Amino acid sequence: MSGGWIAVNDLIVGACGVLIVIGTMLTIKEADPFRKLISLGIMIGGVMPFIVDRGLLDVAIAVALIAPLSTIFTLMICRRGEP
Amino acid sequence: MDISLLAFAHILVAAAVCWLNFIVIDIFFRLPEAGGVVGATAIGKHIEAKGGALHGGYMMGNIVSSPDASAGTLLASCGVFIAGIPGGLLAALLVYIGNRICHDPGYAGTTGCISATFIVYGFTFLGFSPAEFIAGMVLAIATIQGISHPRASRLLSRLWEVRRG
Amino acid sequence: MTPQEAALAVCGIIAVYAAVRLAMEQDTLRKLPFLNVLSFAITGVIALILPHPLGIVAAAAYFVGSTLESNAIASTYVGGLDRRE
Repeated sequence: MSGGWIAVNDLIVGACGVLIVIGTMLTIKEADPFRKLISLGIMIGGVMPFIVDRGLLDVAIAVALIAPLSTIFTLMICRRGEP
Repeated sequence: MDISLLAFAHILVAAAVCWLNFIVIDIFFRLPEAGGVVGATAIGKHIEAKGGALHGGYMMGNIVSSPDASAGTLLASCGVFIAGIPGGLLAALLVYIGNRICHDPGYAGTTGCISATFIVYGFTFLGFSPAEFIAGMVLAIATIQGISHPRASRLLSRLWEVRRG
Repeated sequence: MTPQEAALAVCGIIAVYAAVRLAMEQDTLRKLPFLNVLSFAITGVIALILPHPLGIVAAAAYFVGSTLESNAIASTYVGGLDRRE
């Protein structure tokens, strides 16, 4: 059973690494600020399991609450014209 | 190998159960009727422009921009997996707080979470594990939001016609 | 494989699938449903990878935060921020 667990754990580590790489590359490549913020969302999603895997659940809660707040503060400066 | 195939078969069954649970509760609480916030309406209109149906697009926008019954089902599965029935009820409280943060009345999310808690707990007596319901809910939301937006919105719109009568 | 490992594998595969579909989508607002699928999968991974009572709070906080982010991005993209119709 431990062999299977190690294989799945490697799969999850690889998947989250792929998420971080995709998110970072998209954040660099996109030009529109809204699309940059969506791509940053992918990167934060890839980072979260690495924090939880080491048992730092309090840090995970803090990151999960701070990341959307920083996105909202960033959105304040890229608002589009008048509604 | 045999037991892992059994686990994947259980995941497919759990996906069907979760799909029925959240679709029935969302349509019962009239999510496809209109967008709850401006963003949900805009997502519905963009999905319609791609070739989908308007009311299904509204429901997909509502799922994106506020935790509804699908989020309730997922978090109830997580709660039952970690701590049994009290975990599911704690998840219902957290979903209600999240609904209030996102400008939503919060009936659909809380109802879905409580009903999913008891459904998942009941299925543990049939040999299912709550972990399979977490994967099943992820699979179910991937079929709605992740495969083909026009087809999914047309299906939801047809179900909404049935509900409206 | 135990059920937990099978579920973890399914969540990881769906997360990568959603990220690839999100990268290929051209319209900004139609990217958001794929981001929602991604956050569902990551929430499942968080709860599955470490079963601890605080894990429920961490999963719910991540999910609500991600939803709030999508809500704010969509609402700002079309005009007013967080205004009911």
